[in-house]
Amino acid sequence: MSNVIAQIEQQIAQLSSKATKKNTGVITAVADGVAKVEGLSDVMYNEMVSFPGGVIGIALNLGEDEVGCVILGDVSNLKAGDEVSTTGKLLSIPVGKAVLGRVVDALGRPIDGKGPIDAKESYPVERIAPGIIARKSVNQPLFTGIMAIDSMIPIGRGQRELIIGDRGTGKTTICVDTIINQARINKVGLASGDKNFRPVYSIYVAVGQKQSNVVRTISALEAADALQYTIIVAATAGDNPANQYIAPFSGAALGEWFMENGMDALIVYDDLSKHAVAYRQISLILKRPSGREAYPGDVFYLHSRLLERAARLDGKGSLTALPVIETQAGDVSAYIPTNVISITDGQIFLETDLFNQGIRPAVSVGLSVSRVGSSAQIKVTKQVGGKLKGELAQFRELAAFAQFGSDLDAKTKATLDRGSRIVELFKQLQLNPIAIEVQASLLWALQKNYFDSIEVKHIVAAANSFKDFLTTRKADLLTKIRNEAKLSDEIEAGLKAAGDEWKNTFSAK
Amino acid sequence: MAADKTTKLLAKQLFKLSLVNGTVSPEQVTGVLGWVEKHQPRRTLALLKVYQHLVVTELAKSHARVEHAGPVASATLDAIAAALTKKYQRAVTATAVPNPKLLAGLRIRVGSDVYESSIAGQLASLSV
Repeated sequence: MSNVIAQIEQQIAQLSSKATKKNTGVITAVADGVAKVEGLSDVMYNEMVSFPGGVIGIALNLGEDEVGCVILGDVSNLKAGDEVSTTGKLLSIPVGKAVLGRVVDALGRPIDGKGPIDAKESYPVERIAPGIIARKSVNQPLFTGIMAIDSMIPIGRGQRELIIGDRGTGKTTICVDTIINQARINKVGLASGDKNFRPVYSIYVAVGQKQSNVVRTISALEAADALQYTIIVAATAGDNPANQYIAPFSGAALGEWFMENGMDALIVYDDLSKHAVAYRQISLILKRPSGREAYPGDVFYLHSRLLERAARLDGKGSLTALPVIETQAGDVSAYIPTNVISITDGQIFLETDLFNQGIRPAVSVGLSVSRVGSSAQIKVTKQVGGKLKGELAQFRELAAFAQFGSDLDAKTKATLDRGSRIVELFKQLQLNPIAIEVQASLLWALQKNYFDSIEVKHIVAAANSFKDFLTTRKADLLTKIRNEAKLSDEIEAGLKAAGDEWKNTFSAK
Repeated sequence: MAADKTTKLLAKQLFKLSLVNGTVSPEQVTGVLGWVEKHQPRRTLALLKVYQHLVVTELAKSHARVEHAGPVASATLDAIAAALTKKYQRAVTATAVPNPKLLAGLRIRVGSDVYESSIAGQLASLSV
């Protein structure tokens, strides 16, 4: 009781008898989450505007006679004639480690029923991206745990790598796998007591997703014990477009806190196609001139200013971005896909055909590229996987050609055999990221022809068997590979011994 | 009838003609109204509505509406008017309007600016 009275007294003591100035306006129209307001003569661009009932809006259109505000909240109680006022603040959200393990909305308010968030700091949602001087080139790896990606399309800390593909091709799965892998690496690294270990914290931004999908993602992260290193920002399909528009920027603000405070973070924008659609809706209601596919002229700037906030900073941390784009019928030349492809540092293209053939993750090696990631790749992966992309490309070319005839020369046949084994080896179950040292060992075994005598249809089983063999019986060797990150003579001898031993046991089955 | 772009533009031009030294001149307004009556431009009603809105908005910038709970001395009103005249660099007049909902204190509205120094306002800020 006395505590409550003390709190009230504290609040009263903070009250000032000075006059406060606010700039006001009157709502003239409300439609589809956007309010037109007359007055607000002093309002700033992107300033938070206070609506009746504690509803917050953002001033997006500063016209001569009226201001267009997007409303971040329930619009059902707002009506023409209501008074609104400026707040003098830019939209900001609570940031920090206190938000880890929580599910928040676009304004950083908890929606997981776990109580209030005890955040000490807040960051503005809209922020200018770090400049050239503050940045450092990408040269530290970020392992996704997906063998096809880590070996051929490596991602570095601070990179922007687009995940693009049709619906149902496993885009979200790749992102969730990557988040789970970061949590797994964090646990191993923090347990090792290595002072130089830098954990990666993840932020998953769900834009325009079905609530059931978001729940599924949360459950998957919880099941993998990855939620403790993850923040989920949810602006689902049921939220108004303003929240969907602001959510990625809120996520970026959360990630920037880690980056600015010398930590590394990963942010997934799932997905920016729906984000562009939400922005188009807002822009059309605000009567902004529309361009191609009815998107406003600044839709490129919308995504470029968002993705430019992902960076590796000199003397600080990094923010790696994995934006997701959903294509229609595999058309990567549509407006939004081409925009985001040109902004990002590479793309992982997922093909429906490959997915339907059972090649999962359905990464199209030919269309996928990582523009800066190779400098972040560790030496051991380069040593064992350097030729993979070329071999796979040759295989794809020859496989198409070989369909027309059966008489193949020995070299072509060998290339086809090797290619089909690589394809099988890269098949990976979802929510099952593979540690980089295991990936390197598997690829080493492939390069050293350990899988050549095994039938192609048994490659997946053989790979799993070798993986289990290494993790259960050669943990020391794996630790050595992880720590040294290169293929020394000693490690190679260890791998050879392990490979031979495994081959005997596997063959005996 | 909603005003179209041309009507709004004409209303703004007429409004500009109504200003003398940056303030609305009653003589000029009379002249403008006379011109509208004589020439009957398209969408006259919409035009007059926009014009009226512009004039009212402009006049509100030169007028302070002082809401108060409890008595306010005329000297206080004069002091408010003088302070606002200095602040906005234009002649501002003040009118007292009683508002018991404020409980105590004042709320002054000039144009779209609101200066709040009332108990009701303080209580509202506590609830945020």
